This record gives sequence, structure tokens and C-alpha cells, in this order.
Amino acid sequence: MAKILFNHVYKRYGKFKELAVNDFNLEVEDQEFLVFVGSSGCGKSTTLRMLAGLEDISEGEIYIGDTIVNDVPPKDRDISMVFQNYALYPNMTVFENIAFGLRLRKVPKHEIELSVKRAARVLEIENFLERKPRELSGGQRQRVALGRAIVRTPQAFLMDEPLSNLDAKLRVHMRTELINLHKKIGVTIVYVTHDQVEAMTMGSRIVVMEKGVIQQVDKPENVYNKPANLFVANFIGNPPMNFITGRLQERNGVLEFHTNRFALRIQEQHAYQLRNDHKLVDRTVIMGIRPEHISFEEIALQTCEHSVINGVLQINEFIGSDRYYHMDIGFPKMVVARAHPRYHFDEGARAAFALDMNKALFFHKDTEKLLTD
Amino acid sequence: MREINNKMLQRLYWKRKEFMHAVKRFDRTQQFIVLFLTLLSVFMLLPIVYVFNHAFKPLHELFQFPPTFIVRNPTFQNFIELLSLTQSTFVPASRYMLNSIIVTFLATVGMVATGAICAYALSKHRFPGSKLIFGSIIASLLFAPETIAIPRYVVVQSLGIMNSYFGHVLPMIAMPVGVFLIKQFIDQVPNEMIEAAKMDGTTEFGIFMRIVTPMVMPAIATITILAFQNAWGNAETSTLFMQEDAMKTLPFYMSTLTSNLANSVARQGAAAAGALIMFLPSLIIFLLSQRKVISTMAHSGIK
Ligand SMILES: Nc1ncnc2c1ncn2[C@@H]1O[C@H](COP(=O)(O)OP(=O)(O)OP(=O)(O)O)[C@@H](O)[C@H]1O
Ligand SMILES: [Mg+2]
Repeated sequence: MAKILFNHVYKRYGKFKELAVNDFNLEVEDQEFLVFVGSSGCGKSTTLRMLAGLEDISEGEIYIGDTIVNDVPPKDRDISMVFQNYALYPNMTVFENIAFGLRLRKVPKHEIELSVKRAARVLEIENFLERKPRELSGGQRQRVALGRAIVRTPQAFLMDEPLSNLDAKLRVHMRTELINLHKKIGVTIVYVTHDQVEAMTMGSRIVVMEKGVIQQVDKPENVYNKPANLFVANFIGNPPMNFITGRLQERNGVLEFHTNRFALRIQEQHAYQLRNDHKLVDRTVIMGIRPEHISFEEIALQTCEHSVINGVLQINEFIGSDRYYHMDIGFPKMVVARAHPRYHFDEGARAAFALDMNKALFFHKDTEKLLTD
Repeated sequence: MREINNKMLQRLYWKRKEFMHAVKRFDRTQQFIVLFLTLLSVFMLLPIVYVFNHAFKPLHELFQFPPTFIVRNPTFQNFIELLSLTQSTFVPASRYMLNSIIVTFLATVGMVATGAICAYALSKHRFPGSKLIFGSIIASLLFAPETIAIPRYVVVQSLGIMNSYFGHVLPMIAMPVGVFLIKQFIDQVPNEMIEAAKMDGTTEFGIFMRIVTPMVMPAIATITILAFQNAWGNAETSTLFMQEDAMKTLPFYMSTLTSNLANSVARQGAAAAGALIMFLPSLIIFLLSQRKVISTMAHSGIK
């Protein structure tokens, strides 16, 4: 087991030297479950493949443990990888698939047998060892691919969207299995996904990427509650955070967030930061508020009288435990509230709702960085 | 033995049942097409039946008019005659046969191996000029063999491999069709599989032998058939590059049997036997690898 370090890593592809990965700096702790998340084409796979040795590093260094691995071939990096389409060898049995790497390393026969059996037991695939991959279900294939990875007890596992070919239910199941597996064998895992739920539930830390640049590296709670910038705020969370553009204005010693339709009173601590640290009074900022911090409760409407907005309900989506209310407040984009499904408004009805201004976030209009915490 | 027989019978029974089911689901036109194709395949079988029968006909039956299809009094006379025949240069037929076997073996192995390795490199490795190389291989499919006979002669001569097995094998070894077909198959092998093997610690050659080759077995089997037929039936290298009779191959010998006017009548029997001998290995190889083609196609986990 070892640390992994990315030091100013760049990747350029093709004739035009487009940057797929841009100045990537990251330290992966020993035994950490680190998740790369980002939209399609943001460079997650490329980064992982550079770490695996399947792709050249254009610039910078990658360390595994204390050694620079830039010029070390994949087989000598002592890491294993699980691919999205499993990439099992179709002509070999499950046993052979798992044993293949050990065979090549000239491990004695009885040890191979032992290790494969042990891995198979952990993953509960003991009964399929003699089958060919085509005779397995998707979930079972997935586990064989994992078995192939864990049997070698490498320094780290790399996984590139290993669950995205499974159906929703199996994916949830495998998610917990992976978390348990990580607990059981305590190995460093670098995991790539574009599914934020996977990222939030599995990662001990999350790396949010966009256009080859790291946007934020932090624990799931922090990424969710204190997104470093607009991109992260928008990317993490479903339905996504609501954004409203407005001006900061001082009135009677209170800082307020003004749009041309309403004004909201900014909570004291945020006001202090915006006023004193950033000096943004009378400037335009972007306010973000999560759907669950919007409330229709009578008590909220009364206590937060300075943050009540009226809107027209356009759509309401029932999803079981909650309901999403899409409210038109006179801006091109609708505000989405997430609340208990008992509030039933007809579509087109007017409703008042309160924003929990303690939870509101403010972003700089130009740099798009988070201004408050 | 009996058990195996029973099993086979059972399987045949199921096959037949499946087939009947399938036919029932067909509409009129489809049924007609099935019937038509069945008849056509029976018709296609006729030359094979003819070759077999012809080889065992005694001389008078060979020249009978109207010609008979099925042999009346089968005899091995033709084969004995073929083997006892000796060219004016005193080279026995068995020598030609030995040459043919050696050349065919070397050439087939050579063609398949080079074709597959070349296809793998072109398909899964990016190197400068790879597109150009593939393009020129495809372009070489367009040339008629006659157009390259003279350059080929020059090459073989300057290499100094006239009158050697190399002289037979080397000109045949480049097989553009083989490269093309196997490349099409290797293109289908997911890159991840190769990368997984790399991470498992395989060498480049190991990837080729243990991962890629088993997955493209259908193509390799097909190319083996083609390569074998090319090599086995090839008289050209004997005519062009072999001046010594002892280095020539069976197909060349066959062509001399009937072309020599003085003996052409007398040697009809030997020619008929020779035709069967020429044909038989192709048939066997085809039947063997055809089964392989079908089974690998059905069993390969390529999704
Ligand atoms: N072999 C390649 N040649 C040229 N460009 C490439 C190559 N591989 C990836 N790219 C480019 O690099 C960028 C990052 O690709 P990458 O595969 O890392 O994305 P990703 O984050 O894994 O996306 P996804 O979630 O869709 O898998 C993309 O813009 C892609 O077009
Ligand atoms: Mg990817």
C-alpha cells in the first residue's frame, strides 16, 4: 500500500496538443477511497490511465510510493485496474481470468490456487470458477473483474466507471459491496465515475474535475455544502442548486440581496464576509440555494419574513419521499424547491416560499468562486 | 461408444426438431428460398462426387460415352499408375508429393503467422506510416498476379533462393487478404482487454498469442483454409523459380500429366487419381477448420 502523488501533471492529445489534463496536483492518501467525478470528457479516464501507465504523461511526474513512475511500464507499477466493460478474457474460465496475472508472475501453483480461492470467497464467486465469462450475468462479471484486480494485492486499485454497465438496483448493491471490500482489504482505491451519487456515497474524498482542471478536492459533505465554485455547486446535487443573480445593497445597516423583483436579507456572518472581506457592496453576485433549503412551511414563512418570495408553480414532480416544485419567480430559470409531498399546489397556482438564508451561498460573478462559508 | 452415439442421435434429433420449427415459422417465399438453396447446394456437391468417382474408374469407364457419373467397377489401378509413373528426368511422383507437403506446410504456417502478426500491429499499434502501410497492402489486392511475376522473379533470383524451398515459400508468404481479414477481426477486440493483459503483466507477444489470437480464431481458421489452398494448388513457383525437377511440386506434375500430347490418353487415369489427391487435403482441411470457424464464432465471448 502506498501514497500516490500527482505533481503538475499535464496531458496533451493529438496534433493540436489540446490539454486533456491541465496542471493536475493531487496527493492520494494510503488506503484512501478517492473518487474522480466530472462530466463526460473532463479528463477523468485520461488521468487514471496515466496513473496506470496506459497513457504517456506529457508533463509533470506521478509518484507511487516514493518512486517516479513516469517511465515504468504498467506491469511494474504494482497496481491493478478494473475497466468499465470488465475486459474479461473470453477464452479463459473465471479461474484462469483471475489467475492470469499470478501465472505471469511465476507464483507457485498451490499459492495461485489459494489466492484465487480466497479472492473468490471475498467476492462470492466460488461457484462460477469453472465457467467462461459469457456464462455469467453482468454483476457476476463485474465481480470477476474485481477478483482479477484484488488477487494480486497491489499497491492500489484503479477503477474506471466499473458500475456503469449494471442496472440501477445491482449498481446500488455493488456500491455497498465495493465499500465493504474496501473496508475489508484496506487498499488505496482511485475510482472514476460520472455519477455523483456514486461519488458521494463511496468516496472518502471527491475530486471534481472539469475540462482537465481540478475544481475541488474534499470530503463529500464539504463538496456538497461548500462547493468551491459555481461549477461544483451546479454539478453536485440533484436537482441542482438554484442560482439567482442580484446586487448587494446596504439598507439601514443591513446587507440585502436585490433583484428587480425582490430583496432578501443576508445573514449576519455572510454579510460580514461580503462586506468586509470581499468589499462587494453595490456589486453583482450570484446567490445559490439548494432545493431542500426552500420551504413552504407556515412557520418558516413567518420566521423568515425577509426571505419570502412569491412564485407561480409550473411543474410539480412527485418522486415518492419528496416532491420537486418548479416555481416561476419571473426569471428565465425556474427555482426548484424540494419539500414534503403533502404540499399540493395546482399547476399555475401562486405560492409563497421561504429561503433558508443561513444555507445560501454567494459566488463571485466573474471568478465564479465561493465567497462565503 | 454407444453412449456417444446415443448422444449424437439425440442431438441430431433436436437439431432436426429446431429446424422443422424454424421452417414452420417461415412464410411462403422463405420456404421457397430454403428449398431453392437446398437444391442448389446438392447441385454444388456434384463435382465433388464426380471427382471421387472418377478417380476409381478403370480406363474404359473413363472414356465411356455417354460419360457415367457413378463408378461401376471401382479400382485402385489409377493410383498405382500415378505412383509408378516417372518423368523423363526419373523423378518419382512421391518426390513431388513430398515437396508439396513441405512447401504447403511451411507456406501455410508462414502466411497465417505473418498475416496475423502484421494485422495485430496494424490494428492495435499506432506508429508513423501505419495507415500508409495498410493502404498499400489493400492496394496490392488490386494487382493481377501476372503483373508482378517478373519483379518477383528478379527478387527471388537476386536473393539466390532459386531451387530451394525458400523459393517456393517466400513469394507466397505475403497475403494481403489475410492481413485485411484478420485486421478486421482484431479491430473488434476491445482495447481494454489488451490493456488489462498489459496490467496483468503480459508481454506484447503474450498478448498476441494468449489474448488476441484465441479471440480471432474464426478469421485465422478462414485464412488457414485460404492459405492452404493457395499453397497446395500453386504450380507457379515451380514453373518460374525451380529449374531442377526434384524441387517441383505436385500441382506442376499434375499439369504435365495431361499436357504432354503423346501420353495424354494413357495418363487420363493417373490424372483422375491425381485430381482426387489434389482435392482431398483441401476438403479435409476445410471440414476441420470449418467446424472450428463455427464453434469459435459461437463460443467467442466477443460482445
Ligand atoms: N486517444 C485520444 N486521442 C485524442 N484525444 C483524446 C484521446 N482520449 C481522450 N481524448 C480527449 O481527452 C479528453 C478527456 O477524455 P477522457 O476519456 O479522459 O474523459 P472522461 O472524463 O473519462 O469522460 P467520460 O466520462 O466520458 O469517460 C476528451 O476531450 C477526449 O476527447
Ligand atoms: Mg472515461
